[in-house]
Amino acid sequence: MQLSRDIQVIKEDNVTHSFCGLACVGWMYQKIKDSFFLILGTHTCAHFLQNALGMMIFAKPRFGIALMEEGDLSKHEPSLEEIINEIKADHHPSVIFLLSSCTPEVMKVDFKGLAHLLSTPDVPVLFVPASGLVYNFTQAEDSVLSALVPFCPEAPAGQKSVVFLGSVNDVTADDLRAEAEALGIPVGGFLPESRFDKMPAIGPDTVLAPIQPYLSRVAVKLSRERGCSVLHSLFPFGPDGTRAFWEDLAREFGITVDLRDREKAAWEKIRNQTELLKGKKVFLTADTMMELPLARFLHSAGADVVECSSAYINKKFHARELVALDGVRVVEQPNFHRQLEDVRRIKPDLIITSLMTANPFVGNGFVVKWSMEFMLMSIHSWSGVITLANMFVSPLQRRSKLPAFDKEVWLEGVMPSAE
Amino acid sequence: MRLAFWLYEGTALHGISRVTNSMKGVHTVYHAPQGDDYITATYTMLERTPQFPGLSISVVRGRDLAQGVSRLPATLQQVEHHYSPELIVIAPSCSTALLQEDLHQLAAHSGLPQEKILVYALNPFRVSENEAADGLLTELVKRFAAPQEKTALPSVNLLGFTSLGFHLRANLTSIRRMLQTLGIAVNVVAPWGASIDDLRKLPAAWLNIAPYREIGTTAAEYLAKTFDMPAIYDAPIGVEPTLAWLRSLIDKLNAIGAERGVPPIVLPQLHAFSLDGLSAPSGVPWFARTADMESFSNKRAFVFGDATHTVALVKFLRNELGMQIIGAGTYLERHADWVRKELEGYLPGALIVTDKFQDVAQIIDDEMPDLVCGTQMERHSCRKLDVPCMVVCPPTHIENHLLGYYPFFGFDGADVIADRVYLSCKLGLEKHLIDFFGDAGLEYEEHEASAPPEEPSATPSDSNEHPSLEIAADVAVIPVVAEDGEMKWSDEAETMLKKVPFFVRKKVRKNTETFARESGANMVSIEVFRQAKESLGG
Repeated sequence: MQLSRDIQVIKEDNVTHSFCGLACVGWMYQKIKDSFFLILGTHTCAHFLQNALGMMIFAKPRFGIALMEEGDLSKHEPSLEEIINEIKADHHPSVIFLLSSCTPEVMKVDFKGLAHLLSTPDVPVLFVPASGLVYNFTQAEDSVLSALVPFCPEAPAGQKSVVFLGSVNDVTADDLRAEAEALGIPVGGFLPESRFDKMPAIGPDTVLAPIQPYLSRVAVKLSRERGCSVLHSLFPFGPDGTRAFWEDLAREFGITVDLRDREKAAWEKIRNQTELLKGKKVFLTADTMMELPLARFLHSAGADVVECSSAYINKKFHARELVALDGVRVVEQPNFHRQLEDVRRIKPDLIITSLMTANPFVGNGFVVKWSMEFMLMSIHSWSGVITLANMFVSPLQRRSKLPAFDKEVWLEGVMPSAE
Repeated sequence: MRLAFWLYEGTALHGISRVTNSMKGVHTVYHAPQGDDYITATYTMLERTPQFPGLSISVVRGRDLAQGVSRLPATLQQVEHHYSPELIVIAPSCSTALLQEDLHQLAAHSGLPQEKILVYALNPFRVSENEAADGLLTELVKRFAAPQEKTALPSVNLLGFTSLGFHLRANLTSIRRMLQTLGIAVNVVAPWGASIDDLRKLPAAWLNIAPYREIGTTAAEYLAKTFDMPAIYDAPIGVEPTLAWLRSLIDKLNAIGAERGVPPIVLPQLHAFSLDGLSAPSGVPWFARTADMESFSNKRAFVFGDATHTVALVKFLRNELGMQIIGAGTYLERHADWVRKELEGYLPGALIVTDKFQDVAQIIDDEMPDLVCGTQMERHSCRKLDVPCMVVCPPTHIENHLLGYYPFFGFDGADVIADRVYLSCKLGLEKHLIDFFGDAGLEYEEHEASAPPEEPSATPSDSNEHPSLEIAADVAVIPVVAEDGEMKWSDEAETMLKKVPFFVRKKVRKNTETFARESGANMVSIEVFRQAKESLGG
């Protein structure tokens, strides 16, 4: 889709606080239940998964690190056979994803060759580029899904159906499927499904409907390799996004639906929330790459989005969101030092920000919401509207209920280095 | 190359940032790819820092490498512009160390004065968290500690207290309370809360207290050599060690005081150390002699952790609570010799030295101790086995960063540790009742205890913990190592097993299966179970 005019996106130098692509392991291993995620990496990668992700994962992990130690640095090609055998014996996965990290990337390890060598007909090993040299946070889900493409059967021409693109939990998936079917849209499945052998068929008459905003590469790859079309709409978050998403998707199938009333009813349901959000200054620092649709919902809900930053913005893939954000300051790869100064000057009412920066913002007197929480909550489509709205409203409400806070008194000794 | 899930020690970067995050006016710049500053989250989330930790990343992108561009000079300029710290510590990451970039030269390109910059270019593939932290602290002390007059009255430095240290703030409070009772001033605490100027002032103190083997000992040794400052390296963990520590502190200070004509410090009556100033400073000595502690005397304990806490806990459990030590180990190979020497005569076998948690989990599985003192990893290993476990050292979990006063140091600390032992282990008289009457009205536990073993479930030994923490605690659930060949149980044998008290059920199941295997049975029938009971005395 062509933009009617050039959308202004300010680009900075990406000096920010966020995770690398390995973070995707945190939800992808839970989504694809017969998988194992193996990271070829160092102590740093292991410590990251253990600590940063450890704060949010609540289940038995099917991931591990092939730990590169000093002696491994001089070896020409790492040998992973034994580790792969150990994983197969202990976990019996149907597929092993082999994730790259910074050190082997610097060593120029031939990951594709390595994955090919380790693959067997019954347990393929798929290379997933994920290192922080290239990928931020959610972007490695894009890599995982790209690696899965060869395992999506070819749908024959004439088999017209939608395949939803992006990992969501089963409840959300069921909900999206039911909604599509109610509109008369045939559903071909989800990429990814929760089992490796159940990946959806994709062909020339598939309509790919991205439901997460960080999956531009796999969308392009599939349209190139399978000739499928890609839905360019708003992402299905909030009443506005959800209506546009379903109307546009239905149109792809020659179905005309008018969801104005439905949208109106959805806004009505969250009237209390939007009344509170109206005119509130909201600042989104870059983290999960869900920032654009979240900011667009806030903008539609009447909030004053003072900055929407994101690590990666694709002017084509995000075109509709950018148009809807007209007039909002949008920054790609922001500089955190600059953001901090702006925040102190603008004094936003709410900051959506990373795990690394949330509490310090609170210490500076601001109300925050963890950006990562939006990835772990069911906020898609009509059924996610209330949850979505509440996520912005609850920190504001909670703060207003707490007694006055004198930080000279209650922060003493908490962080002596800052006193 | 090996398959790793969880590691005991953090990275060199973690060690460096623990020191710099503790200090005023010091900023760390990581020269690293995107995401390496995940480390920031450990401070902002575990310590809930109300300010931004002084950590910035000089991002290395693949494109920069291809183009031969480095952002380090620009990042240094930004840090100077926005924060103007007194000192910037530059640390390499795995990948930039591999590239063998000349960080000194890159730093010089920033135009910042050289004395403002410390390039701490250790090899992150060789050096881990504790060694890096200890090394950087020493480096900083060497750089800034200046010759000067001693304070007029007795004073001490507290070295090694570091951001994310185990029960750090409570331990510091406990030490401060004891020093206050003795009338001894604290000159400097480092690195926790210290400025560069504080480091300059270090040699003004009469003595250094460096209770952590892992961090601070080397700096104290340097100060001893260069400034002739005596030091106390023992950790005051347990009642007797605390008393010995107090006496040693007083002796050393009085020796200096005598030369300087300062009146000697006298150990006051011990109730002066209690919270109300009127009571016994610790309940442990009496508690250990009471009848209900009698049942602890034959309890089998296993300890695994860092150097400081492994040594202290083994001694405490055996010397002060009268428990039986069935084994101990450390993940710090660097300090293994010291631990071995300290624990001479305490262990039935060799000290275990490993950084693989699976090895430790296997030992616990084989031994089924009555109490494990370990790290967060042992806690998870023990959950699977229903073995009581208390976390006594890093790596920790958010639940070891509580708000209340739970020191491990001093008299107060002895009470905290004894309470935890008591709450973790099965109780004395209650245990006899349950043993005798089976479930003794505890059928409600049945539900939880019969959950499939590979799923983490709320086990009875964990039932004293807050449920919401329990959810969070599932974070680091450790992958189960599949057992080779599962033994089947007949329905009758299974029913009979249910009559065994819930908290020993897993142990009985395991022992019975071992017995069955050894006697060549391919399943546990009621007969095999009976034979096992007879033979094992269950």
